[in-house]
Amino acid sequence: MRILYFAEIKEIIGKGEDIINIQNATSLNDLIENLKSINEKYRLAFKKKNLKCAVNFEYIDSFEKKINNTDEVAFFPPVTGG
Amino acid sequence: MKVLFQSKNFKVGKILEDFSSKNIQSGSIISFLGKVREFSNQKKLRSMDIELYEKMAKHQTHRAIKSLFEKIQIEDLLIIHRYGNLKPGENIIFILVASKHRTEGFKFIQEMVIFFKKKITFWKKENFSNISQWVKEQK
Repeated sequence: MRILYFAEIKEIIGKGEDIINIQNATSLNDLIENLKSINEKYRLAFKKKNLKCAVNFEYIDSFEKKINNTDEVAFFPPVTGG
Repeated sequence: MKVLFQSKNFKVGKILEDFSSKNIQSGSIISFLGKVREFSNQKKLRSMDIELYEKMAKHQTHRAIKSLFEKIQIEDLLIIHRYGNLKPGENIIFILVASKHRTEGFKFIQEMVIFFKKKITFWKKENFSNISQWVKEQK
């Protein structure tokens, strides 16, 4: 699974991308818990208020959403374009 | 209809002329140009970095355009949004809308800018002489 980080989230974690393999479909909440266990940087990044997430370029409605290895998941702060 | 995400700066005059010539049937061409301000919260800005999640930005922009097309009748559209390191005074976003009458054009541009502020995956970071900070979301 490809996981992308942008803006402040990318800065805190120190990189823009992780590739991980999961055995079975999992929830975004479980994915976040796994990522937080990597190190303090991930814990800090996922503590951010208003963290946004997209799966396959769509904003998610719930962190209970199931994901699998073929998905592209992105984490980022609220957008500020325009 | 064209949507461009690019790092290169652009000159609006020629783009506007070409767009207008291409849409001779339209009675109205409305433009919006968003620029990097010289000051932010009374502090002089040195530059601005704009980060982009391109695949999602394209996906969301095309979806937003499609949904606006269903509500507002326009005839042509051009959007240019920049990313990378920009200096004060440089262009960030340029939107051109061709329509039969001005009302639809104004409405379309207003709604499109709101999409960019709220949904499209760009992030701005302001660089001052002593500090850099991410721009906070506009409520």
